[in-house]
Amino acid sequence: MSKTEITIEELPVLFESVADIFAKEKEHLCEMDAQMGDGDLGLTMSKGYGALPDLIRENTAPDDIGKTLMKAGMKMAGLVPSTMGTLMASGIMAGGKSIAGKSVMGPAEMADFISNFATGLAKRGKCQAGDRTIYDALLPAGEAAVEAAQKGAGLAEVVNAALDGAKKGVENTKDMVPKFGKAAVFAAKAKGTEDQGAVAGKDLIEGLAKYFQD
Amino acid sequence: MKKIINAPETYTDDMLRGIYSANPMVKYVEDDLRCYCIAEKKPGKVAIITGGGTGHLPLFLGYVGDGLLDGCGVGGVFQSPSSEQIYNVAKEVDAGAGVLFLYGNYTGDIMNFDMAAEMLEMDDIEARSIVGADDVNSNADPDTRRGVAGIFFMYKCAGAKAAKMGTLDEVLAAAQKAKDNTRTVGFALTPCIIPEIGHPNFTLGENEMAMGMGIHGEPGIWNGPIKTAAELAEESLDTIFKDMPVEEGEEVCVLINGLGATSLEELYILSGNVREILDKKKIKVFRTFVGEYATSMEMAGASISICKMADEEMKEQINMPVHTPFYTQI
Repeated sequence: MSKTEITIEELPVLFESVADIFAKEKEHLCEMDAQMGDGDLGLTMSKGYGALPDLIRENTAPDDIGKTLMKAGMKMAGLVPSTMGTLMASGIMAGGKSIAGKSVMGPAEMADFISNFATGLAKRGKCQAGDRTIYDALLPAGEAAVEAAQKGAGLAEVVNAALDGAKKGVENTKDMVPKFGKAAVFAAKAKGTEDQGAVAGKDLIEGLAKYFQD
Repeated sequence: MKKIINAPETYTDDMLRGIYSANPMVKYVEDDLRCYCIAEKKPGKVAIITGGGTGHLPLFLGYVGDGLLDGCGVGGVFQSPSSEQIYNVAKEVDAGAGVLFLYGNYTGDIMNFDMAAEMLEMDDIEARSIVGADDVNSNADPDTRRGVAGIFFMYKCAGAKAAKMGTLDEVLAAAQKAKDNTRTVGFALTPCIIPEIGHPNFTLGENEMAMGMGIHGEPGIWNGPIKTAAELAEESLDTIFKDMPVEEGEEVCVLINGLGATSLEELYILSGNVREILDKKKIKVFRTFVGEYATSMEMAGASISICKMADEEMKEQINMPVHTPFYTQI
């Protein structure tokens, strides 16, 4: 029987599923990142998302899933102060803000969370579609989620649609030229490879999707 | 590295403990030393909050006090405070009239202040932001410039407006007016050492200097043989006036700021040379400030800021007496 909504009590468990993915993918992300950047991408993601479930439990705002996510996101920012950590926290906060006042997360709220996560992150990081960043996975994920929700899809279907969007987005980064950070220095090397940030974005959505499969 | 410290890792917090124990007019929030607040808040006044890395005293926390600012998020050496620290400071000093975030134009600080503003919005506390971006040589684009010593004039004007119980919009406008009329040029003679790194992050030859270097050692526009005070005054003012023309008969404030290791004697030599040029151009000097306003620990060097007096109100704001543990103006 598929879930129709996520309650505040279930919220930390949902993000434990994301934490599991990043614990598993830590080495892989670090290796990809070492080729193109700092090599700390996997560490940031596993540390940040590893802590998020407890941060959600410790910062629960009564009957308000959005505000809970915002508070937990801000705490996470202090824990992983790197640029990627700050961007993740900004995404969580923006996603949370879009569903402020909601006591449960249904298909529409999930779609809003993912799409506003993407736009909040892009706003903070001042990146645009096509810049070969994590946004290139999360933007199509958000768009696909919103489209699915508008067509009346259930919660699991919305997240699966987002995952399909993210996977396509990752694929498209192979032809993109990096504009940011150390990756920009290795522009020629980037051609034909997936952007590691975009892969991390896809992993995030995959973590959410896993929760509905188990 | 020769520094009077206990351990590099405790540099910032040891400094803060010293400041709190010496100055009862400031306090911190709960158990976080880095949430620096004025001890007594004034009901109904717009709260002005700044923040930034440690290593620039009296910037940033030194301007928290009567007639200036209400709180400061304190980061580690040359690091941004966290969004949560900024948020906690804002929650503490908010007195019901909203908060103004006034800080320097640095990426990490912007991210964290913006996040704190979003959280405040959830609590129905109105927050507005403005960044100091006065360092002319740091970028041709005014919006991309770094904030350095000229932020003093923004603090002064916004602080005075808030003390006079201006609204959040009015306080922001006062800061904006000061920003629009302030330009700075700085130069370094020796580097500084971040305690946790233990060695300088750049080197300059015995007779070499760096024009346009930032207060974290960001590269300037030229490195070359050291110039005389008169030559530096001339080059700096040329750069400033090309960017912000000041006409004959107009009035300005001058800020001659030491970067940490340059003596007050040298700063006054520079100040004298700046004044000669202004006199020759028939630019009136409303007030001159000489001393350490924004440093880079033990970096040797100085900066020259010019703040054009746009109107009588601005002059009153500049002249308003203020008192903080680090800065008193009667």
